[in-house]
Amino acid sequence: MSFFRRKRLFTILLGFIILVSLIGFSMLDRDDLSAAEEFLQDTIGWLQQIVLTPINYTTNVIDNIDDMKNVYEENKVLKQQLATYQQTLYEVQELRKENDDLMSILDKTNSLSDYQPIQATITARSPEQWFKLVTINKGKQHGVEKDMAVITGKGMIGKIQSTSQFTSTVLLLNGFDRSNRISVNVNLSEQDEDARGFILGYNEDREQLLLEFTDYYEGISEGEYVFSSGLGGVFPKGLQIGTIEEVTTDQYGLTQIAYIKPSADLYDLNHVIVVDREMPTSREIAQDPEITDEEDEENDDEIDLQDEEED
Amino acid sequence: MSRLYLPLLLLFLLVLQGIVFNFIPNNLIQAGWMFIVHWVFIFLVLFTLFYDLEDTYYSVFFAILFGLMIDVVYTSVIGVYMFSYAIVIYFVHGLRKILHANFYVAFLLSIVSVGLVDFIIYLIYTFIGISDMGMDTYFVYRFLPTIAINLFSFIILHVMFKKKLVRWSNQRFDVKSST
Repeated sequence: MSFFRRKRLFTILLGFIILVSLIGFSMLDRDDLSAAEEFLQDTIGWLQQIVLTPINYTTNVIDNIDDMKNVYEENKVLKQQLATYQQTLYEVQELRKENDDLMSILDKTNSLSDYQPIQATITARSPEQWFKLVTINKGKQHGVEKDMAVITGKGMIGKIQSTSQFTSTVLLLNGFDRSNRISVNVNLSEQDEDARGFILGYNEDREQLLLEFTDYYEGISEGEYVFSSGLGGVFPKGLQIGTIEEVTTDQYGLTQIAYIKPSADLYDLNHVIVVDREMPTSREIAQDPEITDEEDEENDDEIDLQDEEED
Repeated sequence: MSRLYLPLLLLFLLVLQGIVFNFIPNNLIQAGWMFIVHWVFIFLVLFTLFYDLEDTYYSVFFAILFGLMIDVVYTSVIGVYMFSYAIVIYFVHGLRKILHANFYVAFLLSIVSVGLVDFIIYLIYTFIGISDMGMDTYFVYRFLPTIAINLFSFIILHVMFKKKLVRWSNQRFDVKSST
């Protein structure tokens, strides 16, 4: 009998050792998933799509019926908006053309705000709610890479945490911490210059993002829009993140901080866009040093130019 | 053939766990309530009670396998679900020798084991710094809703699969079951 007990103790101890080593393994800062993990995620993702398709279909039908009730009123409002929309469209075209002309004069072909959109659909959300992870149905084969920004029509929702061949995992904004900071600009309507800062993480109690300004700015009012600045080397410029809710100082009173309400709804997600920025990201440069030689100057130009614009 | 059904059923439940967010009202989640479904685990408890014999450990094997799959697919830390599922299923398997497997025993045992599993997961995640929830908040906002939703799913799974499990077990091991 004592032999069996010793064996049981031994098994539990072995279990502990395996647990600790696996946790240690997964906490490493890995760039890529192992082949086994990729295979498993792809298989499960594929099954999830099969199960989800009929569910999505029925919810769509129900939504459509709901929408039909409001068609008349919406139509009236939309017609009014259409008149102004034509005007804006014309302006946008003109401005875009002018911008292209000016860019060609400066010999600049791509800017920080250019990106390739990759359309994707959410297939699953982690049942473990401490992980703010969702799975999307596009992976490496579709051009998705680690650290790309993910947006909806309303604004940014998160970034790619890991990719498999046909699916990828997205870390939502409310799971961000200090290790995934976003460099942002705040659009100050009264001044020409934008306020700069970093998103440091998510405040669980207030359900708002925490922004720390790099400098002290006067006159930041509530309701100002916060955009990604593209200077963090990962995201393109100009993705909307949220609006300022409150401006205060940190606990030591030294730096100015603000709380930001994300503009996208992080709970009701269905279709998202993965943003592949056209300028090489810092990760791409690190992986492929040849890009650096060619594009480094261009990058420097980019930042210099921006400074000049803002000065 | 019945050998194949079990892993397929478990796989199906694993897939469904990722889709359950579609059916939980958003305002409950936004209010901070956490409903963690452990369908795979509940099925494993039934599996231990009604399928496994005293000297077979298929349920522990599946607990390790599917715990690992949950870790890989739904979380970014490997090993937590695997360890806690395996150890609690092993514990349930041990209790099986003492208890007579009927509905009430299964009911109570699944409450206790789901609570235990979720608490072990909480402890490990707190220890490695993934959750920073206080013990009292954990009990109100996560422990109780999780127990509630899993009890509900236990009843459904029990009704659907209890007889099938016993039948498959008899086919597989070719003995008269005690229940």
